[in-house]
Amino acid sequence: MPTVVLMDVSLSMTRPVSLDGSEEFQRKNLAVHGLNMLFEHMASNYRMEFTALMAFSSLWELLVPFTRDYNALQEALGNLEDYDKTCVESALNGVSNVVQQEWGSACPCQVVLVTDGSLGIGKGSLRHSLHTLKHHGDDKKFPLPFPFPTKLFIMSVANAEELQMTDAMDNLEELLRLSGGDGQIFTMEGPLCMKNVQAMFGRLIDHAYSPFHAVLHCGNLSSDVQVFPRPEPIVMDEEVEPMPRSVNTDLEIVGFIEIADISSPPVISRHLVLPINVNKEVDEVGTGATDELEEEPSASQMAGKSPNFCVLLHGSLKVEGMVALVQLGPEWYGMLYSQADSKKKSNLMMSLFEPGPDPLPWLGKITHLGPISEAAENPYGEDDSKSPFPLQPPVKRSYAQNVTVWIKASGLQTDVQKILRNARKLPDKTQTFYKELNRLRKAALAFGFWELLKGMADLLERECTLLPDSAHPDAAFQLSHAAQQLKLASTGDSQYAAFDHNIAPMHTDFSS
Amino acid sequence: MKMFSVSHKTVFVVDHCPYMAESSRQQVECDVLTKSRGQGVIPLAPVSKSLWTCAVECSMEYCRILYDVYPLHKLINYIVSDSEFHILNSWRQEDQSTHELMSALAAVGPPNPREDPECCSILHGLVAAVESLCKITELQHERRTTLMDTAERVANRGRIICLTNAKSDTHVRMLEDCIQETILEQNKLAAGSDRLMAIQQCDLVLIHIHPQGDDALVSDRPKKEISPLLTSEVHSVRAGRHLATKLNILVQQHFDLASTTITNIPMKEEQHANTSANYDVELLHHRDAHLEFFKSGDLHMAGTSTRENGLKETITLKWCTPRTNSIELHYCTGAYRISPTDVNSRPSSCLTNFLLNGRSVLLEQPRKSGSKVISHMLSSHGGEIFLHVLNSNRSTLEDPPSISEGCGGRVTDYRITDFGEFMRENRLMPVSESSHDPSGKLPVERAKGQLERHTRYWPMIISQTTIFNMQAVVPLANLIVKETLSEEDVLTCQKTVYNLVDMERKNDPLPISTVGSRGKGPKRDEQYRIMWNELETLVKTHAGATDRHQRVLDCIIACRSKPPEEEERKKRGRKREEREDKTEKNGSKDTDDKSWQESERLKGLLDKEEQESEVIKDSPDSPEPLNKKPRLCTEEVQPPERAKGPVSLLTMWSNRITVANSRKHQEFVGRVSSVNNKFELYQQLKDENGMDVHENGKASR
Repeated sequence: MPTVVLMDVSLSMTRPVSLDGSEEFQRKNLAVHGLNMLFEHMASNYRMEFTALMAFSSLWELLVPFTRDYNALQEALGNLEDYDKTCVESALNGVSNVVQQEWGSACPCQVVLVTDGSLGIGKGSLRHSLHTLKHHGDDKKFPLPFPFPTKLFIMSVANAEELQMTDAMDNLEELLRLSGGDGQIFTMEGPLCMKNVQAMFGRLIDHAYSPFHAVLHCGNLSSDVQVFPRPEPIVMDEEVEPMPRSVNTDLEIVGFIEIADISSPPVISRHLVLPINVNKEVDEVGTGATDELEEEPSASQMAGKSPNFCVLLHGSLKVEGMVALVQLGPEWYGMLYSQADSKKKSNLMMSLFEPGPDPLPWLGKITHLGPISEAAENPYGEDDSKSPFPLQPPVKRSYAQNVTVWIKASGLQTDVQKILRNARKLPDKTQTFYKELNRLRKAALAFGFWELLKGMADLLERECTLLPDSAHPDAAFQLSHAAQQLKLASTGDSQYAAFDHNIAPMHTDFSS
Repeated sequence: MKMFSVSHKTVFVVDHCPYMAESSRQQVECDVLTKSRGQGVIPLAPVSKSLWTCAVECSMEYCRILYDVYPLHKLINYIVSDSEFHILNSWRQEDQSTHELMSALAAVGPPNPREDPECCSILHGLVAAVESLCKITELQHERRTTLMDTAERVANRGRIICLTNAKSDTHVRMLEDCIQETILEQNKLAAGSDRLMAIQQCDLVLIHIHPQGDDALVSDRPKKEISPLLTSEVHSVRAGRHLATKLNILVQQHFDLASTTITNIPMKEEQHANTSANYDVELLHHRDAHLEFFKSGDLHMAGTSTRENGLKETITLKWCTPRTNSIELHYCTGAYRISPTDVNSRPSSCLTNFLLNGRSVLLEQPRKSGSKVISHMLSSHGGEIFLHVLNSNRSTLEDPPSISEGCGGRVTDYRITDFGEFMRENRLMPVSESSHDPSGKLPVERAKGQLERHTRYWPMIISQTTIFNMQAVVPLANLIVKETLSEEDVLTCQKTVYNLVDMERKNDPLPISTVGSRGKGPKRDEQYRIMWNELETLVKTHAGATDRHQRVLDCIIACRSKPPEEEERKKRGRKREEREDKTEKNGSKDTDDKSWQESERLKGLLDKEEQESEVIKDSPDSPEPLNKKPRLCTEEVQPPERAKGPVSLLTMWSNRITVANSRKHQEFVGRVSSVNNKFELYQQLKDENGMDVHENGKASR
């Protein structure tokens, strides 16, 4: 889930913070200190996160486009300049553009808005934006809610009392509500100082940037892993099940399925599964990718040398072309597979299915997947030539069962012509003739379209009179028999008009 | 969409009163004469559908689309109303199919124009519809049962679609009032019943059908709230094509559907088989398949077109001729069932048949810039066609560290192939819900159980294991993980053990890894000791499962300590090593062994059971005290053998095999005259040296 840090660089951020000590700080310094702390945390624990840094006042500027280079982000923080007044609305428009350009509109995003709670004055101020919300034209809509799922974190370099003295807190709360309600407003607790700003960003880190650690189990084999990005709790149906579901920290493999059988299933999110070494203080994630220094046999190198189940699983999944079905919680499943990023690099990935007992119709209920050893005969065949998947639905879909639809005249004409074509080729086409005839008869009865039955009977009788002299004598018998049966059905007489009844070919014997 | 939204329950109420037998006055020419046959033939007069036929076929089309897209949990109850009401099906899942409904409709037949119009009314049906909405569905019942104390979260909402020919706007208001009253009445009844639920919301969609050319007596009216429980909307439509279009739009609105037109489908011409033209096919599906377009505002940019009366929009996606069937795991963010708008047209059935035959088609999103973006895929799974939404945006997970750079990434001798084999054995299969397992466990729990058994001892790297690198151990390793063993399985396991014993006697080399150790690695007997330990570890993890598993363990423990000569040889071997007497190993061993062999011979080789007892006598020599207890166990398992004294399965088995084999062929001289399956070669050399070796062979007797 990419992060956009939106930093307020308006003049109000340069307000000095009164301190007892000799050095004088600005609110900006506090904010930068907090962000540095966030970036440091991400660099070591949340390395895979893409982060962009934007500064805004009455205008906005993308200082660092989405990157995992946290040094660059920190460097940019050091070079912030001061500008004019705060204008949140235009800045949010900027966020919307920047995110959609990079990630499209489906990718969930986190926005960290850092401000001092002085939200501008006059036109362009947040108060003004919110007041005129309803008067916005369709072309100039307020940027919230963003088209992409958003978590909005507002870091205010001011304490709650200060925000409540004006309507700043109300406005920020309204902003959060407009963004969809997912997020939080963080304020400083106690006096404005380095320690308290650290505490505030610490709360943000705990809330949104703590790595998700889990244990991947396959029977008695297991491995400690970090799942990145963190799987977020989700609500499926707020009415029936209002409590959000979260992914267990024990991920249990239940069995294996061929890639062809699982066949590109829909997933709600994808995550990297990175094996970690829990004995160490610092997490392992990503260090391998960037630490090419290798001065001494570091702990990470030692970890690299002891066998890890994830690596074994990944290797075999890749070679065999299979996925592992993994249970994430009660009635919630996902799959593990090898994902190749390039020819050389590949990784263990986990995709989450929609929560529920049967996320993929072609697999059926997951709880009703059992080991193949229970079958009398291997359902995959001795040479893997077969598969028990996909599961067939009990009722065929309309496009798989030759349904009759006469809404367009052409549909009806085609069906009538088909019968007539076969009528001319009697007795060779007796079977097809009666099959088509019965299909038409059934539909006409269901639709209460008795006029058609009579019309069809007339047509068959006419065909009978048009038979050439060379025609087989059976043709005339079958045509008049069929016509007569249709006429009987068109009276609605229950004896002849039963839906399940079929007109059978007349039994004739011309063999002699 | 909420599970129990208004669209969970839909009641169709179709008017079956005499005036519905009137003609729609839309004529269908069904006798299309070809030119060659045109002469002298009077074509059949065109037929015309009645208002009833139009209502029925359009409502069936609504149901067809609904069942295609939502085979479960979106239910239809079909009611026909004349002098009384006729309920054609129930909310039960097995009643939810167009075939069921067609069959029931055929039984009703068209309205009888001679029936007294005074007795007939659509009201009978509408009252029945409200009653029906109060009836609990299987899904509501199931969810209420599982939610227990929060059962009130299960809502009861529904929609009534009434197809009728109303007399006037006042008539419509009368119908609305009547439904409102019935809801209130039924809700009171429902409060006191388990099988009924009060209606929380009911949407009435009243469709007034009139013949072509007639003025509509009823005016259209958008949705309005009659009461907090009831909303109502009125559509006045001409019968025929217009009605079909109206219901098609309604089914899309009611069930959040959207339309996609697949364009540029190459298809062989019927007349000219060697040419192909491009066709378009329109599909309906859940509108979330277009989510990305809606959100990004691309809807109008990306090939959308508004058609007919401006109510319907479709998104155009271009067919990409499929490559060879490569099996690939696409990153797919959604999969939605489809239903073709024009199901039996030739282009539609060509497309659906192509997909049903197992091919997948990628679909390209037309973009102004000309860049090619694959955004969707059509694919069938088990006879159902799905529109998959593929992710076409930049991935946030790009350029991750390779797995080889993380924990365990530097290890190179993972048992990849073995684990692959393990995965194949632990593949899953669907188990029918009706099949009952005596353990009472769900199939998936049994699958997990199997994984647990199979991994009790599973070294991850080749250099950590000996037994899994030995072909000879495979039969036992495959069997021991089973939940239960048959008598035959036990025999196979024992056979495997004897085979290992044999290998040890023959001093066969073992595939012990020399990684990490200097020189040649451990000595051979040390290798065997490691192998036996590992095998014992494997089997011990399963020994508790059943008596038969325990017997396999017993066999291993017994065999690795015997025959005693092995142990003795080992001991002596070690002593010899201490004495640094490394030369002439075989020779000295042979002489050392002689005394034992002699005593063995004295006791008689013919009676193997006797020999067995001899082995028992020898057993105290072996260092493992474990020996004794398993013996007892074996005895308990086989009480009949007790009279004869302790007899191991080895004896029984080898006796049987020996007897069986000896019947089949003439025994090799060497084997016949061997001692403990050993026969000394080049005896004549010793003879020349003046040593007496005759005792070694039977022939000397």
